[in-house]
Amino acid sequence: MEQTVSRRDFLKLGGAAAGALAVGSFVPPRVAQAALEAGHLNAQGDGYIPSVCEMCVWRCGLLAKVKDGRVVKLDGNPDHPHSKGKLCPRGQAGIMTTYDPDRVLTPLIRVGSRGEGKFRKASWEEALDIVAQKMLEIREKYGSEAMVFSSTHNLSQVQFENFLQAFGSPNYGTQRSLCFNAMIVSNLMTYGMEEPARNYDNLQYIIYTGRNLAEAISNSETGEMIAAIDRGAKMVCLDPRFTKTAAKATDWLPIRPGTDLAFHLALINVIIEERLYNQAFVEAYTTGFDELAASTKPYTPDWAAERTDVPAETIARIGREFAAAAPFALAHNGWRTSNFVNSFQAERAITILNALVGNWGTSMVHAGGEEGGGLGKPPQPPYPRISAQRLDGVPWMYPFVPLKIGVFQQLRDSIIDENPYKAHGWFISRQNPVLSLPDRKKTLAAMASMDFIATVDVILNDTAWFSDVVLPEASYLERYDPLAVVGDKAYIRQPVIEPQGEAKSALWIYKELGSRLGMSEFFQYADEEDYIKQQLAPLGASFDSLRSQGYVELPGEAGDQFQWQTPSGKIELKSSTLESAGFAAIPTWSEPPAPAEGQFYLLTGKGARQTQFGTQNNQLLHKYDDEPRLWMNAKTAKAQGLRDGDMVQVASEVGSIYVRLLATEAIRPDCVYMMPGFGHLSMGLTTAYGLGSSDSDLHVTYTDPISGGQALTQTFVTVQKA
Amino acid sequence: MATIQQHAYLFDATRCIDCRACMIACSVENSVPMNDSYIWVTGSAVMGEYPDLRRATMPYHCMHCLEPDCVSACPVGAWSKREDGPVLYDEDKCIGCRYCMNACPFSVPHFDWDKGLFGGALMHKCTMCVQRLEVGQEPACVQTCPTEALKFGEREALIAEAHSRIAAHPERYIDHVYGELENGGTSYLILSHVPFGELGLPDVGVTPVKNVSEAAMRATIPLALGWGAVLTGVTVGMELNKQRKDKAGKEEPAEVEAAAGGKR
Amino acid sequence: MKIDIAVPSRLYHFRPNPLPVILVALMAIGLAVAMVRFASGIGAISNLSNTYPWGFWISFDIYTGIAISSGAFLLAAAVYIFEIRSLRPLLMPTILTALLGYFMEVLALMVDLGRPERIFNMLFYQNFTSWMLVVGLCVMIYLAILAVEIAPIFLRGLKQDKWAHFARRFIKPAVILGVVVSTIHQGSLGALLLIQSAKLHPLWWTPLLPVMFFVSSISIGLAMVIFESSMTSRYFKSHHLEIKLLAKVAGAIPYAVGIYAVLRFAQLFLSGNSQYLFSSGLMSVLFWVEIVIGVVVPFILFISPRNRADPRTLLIGAIILLVGMVLNRFNVSWFGIHRLQEVGYVPSLAEISISLAIFSFGILAFGLGARYLPLFEDSDAIAERA
Ligand SMILES: Nc1nc2c(c(=O)[nH]1)N[C@H]1C(S)=C(S)[C@@H](COP(=O)(O)OP(=O)(O)OC[C@H]3O[C@@H](n4cnc5c(=O)[nH]c(N)nc54)[C@H](O)[C@@H]3O)O[C@H]1N2
Ligand SMILES: Nc1nc2c(c(=O)[nH]1)N[C@H]1C(S)=C(S)[C@@H](COP(=O)(O)OP(=O)(O)OC[C@H]3O[C@@H](n4cnc5c(=O)[nH]c(N)nc54)[C@H](O)[C@@H]3O)O[C@H]1N2
Ligand code: SF4
Ligand code: SF4
Ligand code: SF4
Ligand code: SF4
Ligand code: SF4
Ligand SMILES: [Mo]
Repeated sequence: MEQTVSRRDFLKLGGAAAGALAVGSFVPPRVAQAALEAGHLNAQGDGYIPSVCEMCVWRCGLLAKVKDGRVVKLDGNPDHPHSKGKLCPRGQAGIMTTYDPDRVLTPLIRVGSRGEGKFRKASWEEALDIVAQKMLEIREKYGSEAMVFSSTHNLSQVQFENFLQAFGSPNYGTQRSLCFNAMIVSNLMTYGMEEPARNYDNLQYIIYTGRNLAEAISNSETGEMIAAIDRGAKMVCLDPRFTKTAAKATDWLPIRPGTDLAFHLALINVIIEERLYNQAFVEAYTTGFDELAASTKPYTPDWAAERTDVPAETIARIGREFAAAAPFALAHNGWRTSNFVNSFQAERAITILNALVGNWGTSMVHAGGEEGGGLGKPPQPPYPRISAQRLDGVPWMYPFVPLKIGVFQQLRDSIIDENPYKAHGWFISRQNPVLSLPDRKKTLAAMASMDFIATVDVILNDTAWFSDVVLPEASYLERYDPLAVVGDKAYIRQPVIEPQGEAKSALWIYKELGSRLGMSEFFQYADEEDYIKQQLAPLGASFDSLRSQGYVELPGEAGDQFQWQTPSGKIELKSSTLESAGFAAIPTWSEPPAPAEGQFYLLTGKGARQTQFGTQNNQLLHKYDDEPRLWMNAKTAKAQGLRDGDMVQVASEVGSIYVRLLATEAIRPDCVYMMPGFGHLSMGLTTAYGLGSSDSDLHVTYTDPISGGQALTQTFVTVQKA
Repeated sequence: MATIQQHAYLFDATRCIDCRACMIACSVENSVPMNDSYIWVTGSAVMGEYPDLRRATMPYHCMHCLEPDCVSACPVGAWSKREDGPVLYDEDKCIGCRYCMNACPFSVPHFDWDKGLFGGALMHKCTMCVQRLEVGQEPACVQTCPTEALKFGEREALIAEAHSRIAAHPERYIDHVYGELENGGTSYLILSHVPFGELGLPDVGVTPVKNVSEAAMRATIPLALGWGAVLTGVTVGMELNKQRKDKAGKEEPAEVEAAAGGKR
Repeated sequence: MKIDIAVPSRLYHFRPNPLPVILVALMAIGLAVAMVRFASGIGAISNLSNTYPWGFWISFDIYTGIAISSGAFLLAAAVYIFEIRSLRPLLMPTILTALLGYFMEVLALMVDLGRPERIFNMLFYQNFTSWMLVVGLCVMIYLAILAVEIAPIFLRGLKQDKWAHFARRFIKPAVILGVVVSTIHQGSLGALLLIQSAKLHPLWWTPLLPVMFFVSSISIGLAMVIFESSMTSRYFKSHHLEIKLLAKVAGAIPYAVGIYAVLRFAQLFLSGNSQYLFSSGLMSVLFWVEIVIGVVVPFILFISPRNRADPRTLLIGAIILLVGMVLNRFNVSWFGIHRLQEVGYVPSLAEISISLAIFSFGILAFGLGARYLPLFEDSDAIAERA
C-alpha cells in the first residue's frame, strides 16, 4: 500500500509538484501554442492572457502575466466592466490559489474512515469509474432521487445542472438560500425579476441595509460606491457594526438587528404622509398604493425609533432627503440578506421604497441575464421526467422559492430526517457546505448518513475531507469554462497555464462521468474548446478572436424598460402572488426574536481578504492579518470582566466554540461579530487548519417560510471567559 | 502618455477602504516574501467612542523623497535617486548597517532579519515598480486599487489636482497636501480627512532631515585640518620649548600640568 | 612630579580565581550564539525589528564602547603633545584599553552588520555625505593609530627593543592624527543622529550633537582613566594606585562636565526646547537622571580636593559619571528615539550574550596584556632615547 498518503506526504506531494513547475523553463506546449496563436505571448513565451477571475462570483476580467510557463502576476482587465483594470485583494492573490502547495493534483480515494483524512492517489480512470459505479448502484437500489447534488454559483454550473438533470435527481442544493433568497424573492414579487441592476452614474443618495461593499467587495460596485461618495453623494449605512463601509457613510446607523423592516416601513410612512413620493410614477407603474398607504400609517418614525434604536428625527430626515434626491436615490437591496426570518419583508419594503420615489430607469434598471441571449449550446435531448418530491421542500413547503434556487438548509435537514425519503449519495462541486451551512454538527451528521460522497474541488477543503472520492478540478487559471456573460458581452475564461498535476476542468469531469453513466447524449461536446465554439456558433464569431480579445459582443436585445414580469405587469407594491398564497401582501411589522438577558446577537459578515469558505488557505491573503477574533463592544466587555485578547467560549443552543476576543468600539453593545470562513476541519489545509473558529458551529437553522432564506443573525449566544 | 518628468502618487484617504489589494498586488509584482511587505496599511484602528467613530487608513510605503535622506545616509552609496522620481537600491553595495532605516524619517526601508551570512541579508522597500514604468504601466498598487484611492502621474499635475480637490470640498479635507513640502517634498502626496498623524505619518518639517547632517559634514574637513594644525603647532612648540629648557637645565614647568584637563 | 612605580612588571599574577573561567565560558556562549546569527540571521537571535533596527548592540558596544575608549586620545595628547609626562604611567594601560575597545567594536559590528563580509565596501564605494562612512573610516584609522601607539610596548614585550625604538618615531605624528581622528570619531557618533531629527526627542537632538558628544567624551575619558587605574590596581596587586596622579585627572572633571552642562542647557534654552524639560514624561525623567548622575553629582564630588584624594570616592565618582554618560548614549541612540509603531523592544538574552562575550574577550585580553606587556612601566627611558 505504498500509495496511501498521509497528510504529510500529501503536502509534500503538493509542494513538490508546484516546485517542479517552477523549474520548468519551457512553456507547456498546448496553452502556449494557443496563447501564441492568439498573439498574447511573445516568442519567449512571455506576455498577458485575458481571462476571468474566480476568486469570487463577481468574475472580474483579468490579464494574466505569464513568464516561462508560470503565471507571475494578475492585473485587472481594463476591458471588463467588473474590473475596469482593477482586481480586489482576493483577485490579486489568486495566483496563490493556483500555486497553493496544498492543491489536490490527482484524484483521491478515501482509505481510512470518513473524516480521518486518509486517501490514496488514484488515476482518473479508477476514480471516475468508482463514482459512476456508486451512483448507478444508488440509482438502482433507491432511485435517482437518492442522489443529492449541490454546487455554488460558477461558470460550469449549467453543465452541473445538465449533469444532475440528466441523472434524474430533483435534489439540488445551492448556496442561494444561505445568501440572497430574501432579496431575490422580494424582487420577484415586486418587480418580477431576480435582481434589477443598479446605476450609480448620477446617484446622490444611497441607503445600504447591511450591504458592506467596502469589505464584501464587488470590485466595480465597490469602486462606484466610493466614486459616488467622492462626488458628494450622501450615504446611509444600516449595520450594527462600524464596518469599513460605515466609515464612509454620511450617516452610520447602528440599527438593532432584525429591525431593518421597521426602519424602511417608517421611511415609507414619511414619504407617503408627507407626499414626497413620485405621484406620476406611482400612478402609472405601480399597483396597491392605497393599501400600502393605509397599512403603513401606524409605522411612524416615532414608532420605528423604539424598535430600531435610530432616533425618529433621523428617520424622518432620511426619508425626506431620500425623496428629495430621487430619482438619483437608491435604497440598495443588499446581497446576503439571510439575517432574520423577517428579512424577506424588509427586502420587500426596500423594493417598495425605491418604487415610491420613482427611481426606475434612473438608479435602477432592468438587468441583462447571465444566460446571454444569442449564445449557442450543445444539443440536449429532453431530460428524464422526475416524479420524486424535492428534499428541500420546494415547492411543497416553500411555494415561492424558485426551483433552481432551493432551500439548502432544508435539504440538509431532510437528509437527516429522511423526510420524505432517504438520500444515499451526495455529489458536490465547488462548494463547502461543511462550513457554509448553519449548524455544522447537523451537516456532518447528514454527510455521515450518506453511503457515498464525491467532491470536486481544487483543495482538500472540509467537504472534500469528509468525502469518499475527491476529483481535482483545474484551477481557474488552468482551464476553460463556459463563457461568462456580462451586459452585452461574453467573456472567456481560458487557461493561462497548463493544469498542474492531473487536474481537469469541470466540463471534462462532467462529460466523462456522463459517459460512464450512459448519459453521453447530454454531453455533446468534444472538449472545452469545442464547447465554447458551439456557444459561439450562432454569433458567427471566431474562437481565435475571442481568445485574443478576451470577449465577444452579443446582439443587443432592447426590451421595454417599463414592463415587468409580474402578474399585473407593473411594479407590485402589494404583491398579488403573496396575497393569493395567504402571506402578507404588503410588508407588515412582526417583532423578530431578540436575545435574552445575557445573550448577544451573533453577526456574520465578510472580510475584504477572504471569500466565503474556500480562500483561507491562500497564504497571500494572510499577509499581516491576524487570526480573526470575536468582536465585542469594549464597554460591554469591560462590564463582563473580559479583556481584549481573552480566550472566550461562545455558546448557542446548538454548539459552542473558543475564540479570542476583540474589544472594540465598533459594534453595538448587544451584538458580537465573527468573520466567517475560519475554523476549518480539514487537516489538508496547512495554512487554514487550526486558524480561528467557525460561526457555523453556532448558527441555528431558521428558515423564512416565504423566501426559504436562512436567518443567520437570529442566533443568540452567550460569551464567557474560557 | 507624455513622458513624465517627476513621477508621483496621489493618495486620497477619503477613498481608501483598507482592502489591501495594493499590498498584495505589490507583493506579487515584486516577489516580496511572506514575512515582509513594501506596503503596510497604517492607521487602521477605529478611533472615537461608540457610536461616534471614525477610521482612516493609508497604504504606507516609500515616499520617494525629492531629497532622500536614505541616499545621504548610506555609507556606501547603495541608495540613489533616479531623475524621474524613484529612489532605488543597489544591492551589491549594501553592507547592512541599517543606518538608512534610522535616517529615513518615514522609517521605510526594511531589512532581511531572517537571512544569515550566506542568505545575503539586504534592505527592501518600494521601488515605484520601475519595471512597470519602463513598459508604460502604472505601479501595481496604483493600478489595482479598486476605489482609485491611489493615482499616479506627473508630480506637478497631481499637486494641482490635490489642491483642487480640497478647494472643491473644503469641508471634507484637511487643508494640506502632505508631501508637497514635507521633508523637502516627496513623490507620495497625501490628502486626508483626519490629522495626518492618525494615518501613521510622522510630523516632519519642510527641510530634509539630512540638511543639518550634511552641513555638519561640510564643516568637518576644515575643522579637522585646523585642529590638526593646532595640535601640530603645539607639539612642535613644546618640543622646541623642551629643547630650550633642556639646555637651560630647568625643571618641567608646573603650569603645563595644570592645563592637562583643560585642554581639548 | 615623580611617582614611585612599585615594581618591574611581569610579576603580576592572577589570584587563583574563577574569573578567567567564567570569561571563557561567556565567550563560548557568545560564539555559539554568533554562529546561529551567521547561519540564520540577526532576527534569529535578537529582538531587533524593522521598528527597532538598532538596539542594545549599537547602544552598548558601539556608543558606549567608543565613548569609554576616549581616555586614550586624551592621555596621548596630554603626554605626547602637551608633554605632561607625569601622566605617562597611566598612558599605556589606557591605550591598550582603547585598542581592545575598538577591536571589540569591530567584533560587535561583525555580528551587527547585515553583510559583515562586505565591511571593506566602505573603502571602495564611498558616499561622503554619510556620517556612517565617517564612523567606519574613523574606526579603521584609529585602530591603526592605536596599534602604532602601542607598538613600542608591544615590541618591548617581545624583547624587540630595536624595533620598539623604531616604532617610537612614529608616535608623535600618530598621536596628532589620533587626536584629530578621535575628535571626529567621538563627534561623528553624535553626528550619526543628526539625520534623525524627526525621530530623536528634542531634549537630545540638536545640531550641536557632534560637539556634545565630543565634549562629553572628555569627561568620560577622564573618568575612565580613574576607573581603570583603580580597577587594575585592585586586580593586579603589585600595581600601586597612583592616587596623586588620579586626583590630578579628577581635577579636570568639574571643568569638563561644567562646560558640557553649560552647552547642553544653553542649547536647550536658546532653541526653545527647554519646554520639554519637565513636560515630556519618561523622556524628561531620563534626561534629568542622565544630567544628575552624569554631570551634577560628579561636579559636586570632584570639585572638592579632599574627595579627589580619596581613592574610594574617586572610584565611586568615576563610576557615577560613567553611568550617567552611558545613559546619555543609550538615550540618544535608543530610548529617546520615537518609533512609528508602538512595538516594544527588550534586548534578547542572546543579544546580551553576544555583548557579554565581547566584553569578556576584552577583559581577558587586557588581563593577558597586563601580564605580558610592560604596561605599567615608565617607558620614559625609551622615550628619552628616541
Ligand atoms: N471580500 C469578500 N467579498 C465578497 C464575498 C466574500 O466572501 N468576501 N462574498 C460575496 C458574496 S457571495 C456575497 S453574498 C456578498 C455579501 O455581501 P453583504 O451583503 O455585504 O454581506 P455580509 O458581509 O455577509 O454582511 C453584511 C453586513 O450585515 C450586517 N448585519 C448582520 N445582521 C444584520 C441586520 O439584521 N441588519 C443589518 N442592517 N445588518 C446586519 C453584518 O454586520 C455585516 O457587516 O459579498 C460578496 N463579496
Ligand atoms: N456563517 C456564515 N455562513 C454563510 C455566510 C456567512 O457570511 N456566514 N455566507 C453565505 C453566503 S453569502 C454564501 S454565498 C455561501 C457560500 O457557501 P459555499 O458556496 O458553500 O462556500 P464557498 O466558499 O463559496 O465554496 C467554494 C468551494 O469551492 C472551492 N473552489 C474554489 N475554486 C474552485 C474551482 O475552481 N473549482 C472547484 N471545483 N472548486 C473550487 C473552494 O475550495 C471551496 O471549497 O455561504 C453562506 N453561509
Ligand atoms: S471582486 Fe475580487 S475576487 Fe471577485 S472576481 Fe473581482 S477581483 Fe476576483
Ligand atoms: S521615504 Fe525614506 S527610504 Fe524613501 S526616499 Fe525618503 S528617505 Fe529614502
Ligand atoms: S543598510 Fe545598506 S543601504 Fe542601508 S545605509 Fe547601510 S549600507 Fe546603505
Ligand atoms: S510602487 Fe510598486 S513597489 Fe512601490 S508600493 Fe506600489 S506596488 Fe509596491
Ligand atoms: S487598494 Fe486602494 S482602497 Fe485598498 S487599501 Fe490600497 S489604497 Fe486603500
Ligand atoms: Mo453569497
